Amino acid sequence: MAASGSVPHVRVDLSSLSNAPKEKLHLLPVRIECDGAAKVSQYFTPSIRREDESGGVTSSFRGRCLHGLDLDVPEGYIGMVLKEEAKPCAEDEERVVRVKSTFSALTCWNLETPPRPDDSAVKAMNWPTVAEAVHAPV
Amino acid sequence: MEAALLASGSARLQSAVPGVCRAEDCCLGIDEAGRGPVLGPMVYGICFCPISKREQLAQLKVADSKTLTEDEREKLFTKLNDANDFVGWALRILSPNEISTGMQQRSKYNLNTMSHDTAIGLIQYALDSGVQLKEVYVDTVGPAEKYQAKLKELFPELEITVKAKADSLFPIVSAASICAKVARDRSVKSWTFIENLGDVNVDYGSGYPNDPKTKEWLSSNVDPVFGYPQFVRFSWSTAQVILDSKAVPVHWEDDGKDGDKKDTPSVLSFFEKKTVDPKLQSHRYFTERKLVSIANL
Repeated sequence: MAASGSVPHVRVDLSSLSNAPKEKLHLLPVRIECDGAAKVSQYFTPSIRREDESGGVTSSFRGRCLHGLDLDVPEGYIGMVLKEEAKPCAEDEERVVRVKSTFSALTCWNLETPPRPDDSAVKAMNWPTVAEAVHAPV
Repeated sequence: MEAALLASGSARLQSAVPGVCRAEDCCLGIDEAGRGPVLGPMVYGICFCPISKREQLAQLKVADSKTLTEDEREKLFTKLNDANDFVGWALRILSPNEISTGMQQRSKYNLNTMSHDTAIGLIQYALDSGVQLKEVYVDTVGPAEKYQAKLKELFPELEITVKAKADSLFPIVSAASICAKVARDRSVKSWTFIENLGDVNVDYGSGYPNDPKTKEWLSSNVDPVFGYPQFVRFSWSTAQVILDSKAVPVHWEDDGKDGDKKDTPSVLSFFEKKTVDPKLQSHRYFTERKLVSIANL
């Protein structure tokens, strides 16, 4: 968390925020060795089935069963997908990331079992509440 | 039948139960179609009729579906449907996605067990529909004796015969095999992709791994990220081999847990100099939530 003197700062180019499109986001429990566009709307979105009672969703990826849950980004916050267009030439140079897209909700997927309250992505959403309390003037 | 077959999901389809099957002692045959293919569903079929009408069924000239042409099978299926005053049938379609996800589950659900469970479900369906079942004939999946013992334990009141090649020995099993094969063929021929693939090439052949058309289709329709649409059985080695070479690698959290010791660190690593100052390490609260400050990208 604490950035030491030798670590260069990362700056978010906020001017890119206003033009950033809003996108649907899926967090998959699999590491895909690929960084770039994927045909999500052709392959993945149509395969999503909504379970009746629980509000959960099911789908599959490469023939493995996934269970998902829609998570809202905490109120007062927006989700941003950041992209570093160019790596700096020198190690101590400032790094700039651009807002590629924004999201207000994401679907968090688990392998074969529905996401639980103690899954990292689900738990991560309570940080803003904790942060507010931690940073509030005493 | 058509509409339900076109759907990519799993389904059960059935004829009406003839009144005479609820009144008289019946025999029932079970067979499957589409166990080997890398594409499309596997279909389980049952056919039943009164034991007294067995001769009448044989007169329809039903034979093992594998010895018949597609045309002949279609004609026989029509004949079976026309004989609805004494013959009934039911089908259970296991979608390719159900097969892929089952076989690739953490606790593997293998194809034989899937087959057995499906057959059991169909026998139960016939009983629940009031068919006066007495004799059951099954084309075996796996060792016949074990399978027979399993079925006998579940249905002690039934006389059960599990045999290899039952589809050529017993007309009622031949009839079941025709129903299953017709359904499998129709389903593969007119497959509706749930994916939005646009003008997808549908020249995929029979779906058998040794069919050159199927092979060609599998190697020219790989998506680097998703691999294939759900029409393909991902659990088949034919598909896996092509994906390994043409799609990007993916890593699951349970990868390498089957006796693979790759995760064990080398002894030497315990003596290495730690490069990260533990004081600068994130608190457990953040690591547990996979939260990192943007300054440390």
